Amino acid sequence: MNKKPFVITIPILVVLLASLFASKRPDTLETIAISYSFESQAKEISSLFTGYSFPFIHNQFMSSFCAGTAGLFIIYIFYKVIKRFVK
Amino acid sequence: MHIPDGFLNNNLAGGFIAGALGMLGYCLSKILKTVTIFTGALMGNNGNSNIDSVSFGFSDNAGKYFQNLATIAIWVFAFQMFNIPIQSATSAHLIGGVFAAVLAGPLEGFVIMSSVLIIQALFFSDGGILALGANIFNMAFVGSFLSYYMYKTFLNKNHYLAIFAACLFSVLAGSLSCLIELSISGVVSFLTAFEDMMSMHLVVALLETGITLALLKMFKNLTRDADE
Repeated sequence: MNKKPFVITIPILVVLLASLFASKRPDTLETIAISYSFESQAKEISSLFTGYSFPFIHNQFMSSFCAGTAGLFIIYIFYKVIKRFVK
Repeated sequence: MHIPDGFLNNNLAGGFIAGALGMLGYCLSKILKTVTIFTGALMGNNGNSNIDSVSFGFSDNAGKYFQNLATIAIWVFAFQMFNIPIQSATSAHLIGGVFAAVLAGPLEGFVIMSSVLIIQALFFSDGGILALGANIFNMAFVGSFLSYYMYKTFLNKNHYLAIFAACLFSVLAGSLSCLIELSISGVVSFLTAFEDMMSMHLVVALLETGITLALLKMFKNLTRDADE
């Protein structure tokens, strides 16, 4: 059985599951920052998919899934560009 | 463990960016050397042989090599998205440095982790732009490059022990360097936050070990069968 498609579909499935079930609790560094009252020093920077959400999509699951899938695609393109650039 | 902008002082952040760029350049040049083949045409000239023309290009496996790096980076990015609740009001996710380095090598692990961190910072605001150098140091250099040598040290004893030691080192040393950077920047006292930081990341390290072992097994199984 050719398992090659799974190498790519598994990350997409993980992004799908992450969009549905990933914890919204703060991560370890955020927790430390909250505990020691320095979280307000963080400067929010704006980007295309800030907070893993896709612009113009208001459904939280779809927004997160599209942003995550876009991330996978960007990484793929990034390596394609490196390969082309050095050639 | 992604440090946002505003936590580190500018001088420290700038120093880390310079260091990360230097290390990235070194790793990329080494990687390119391994996928480049040199061919020299030997020409006779009055009994002496010299290389008249030298050409170079990518080896036949270069395409597959970069494809492998991209695939590992994609896996790391996807699994970093999955936050798992660990303690009351806290969550954690895979760092993936050991996973990347064990599959691809220490230099490649550094490049893979750096590429994921760069894309997360630029497109997802996950980690600051100014803090990118420090994040690369914590998660790509300590979390992947150095952790690989921890893995190698224990590999002759037992594979599982080696992964455990590498993951433990990756997460704990990475979080320790993060805490040192924060305390140098004056946002938190090292001694005050040390216990909380380490105890929290000990749980993360155990999680990292379990996920890394499962992912390595799954990834190797899938790619081996795909290659056949």
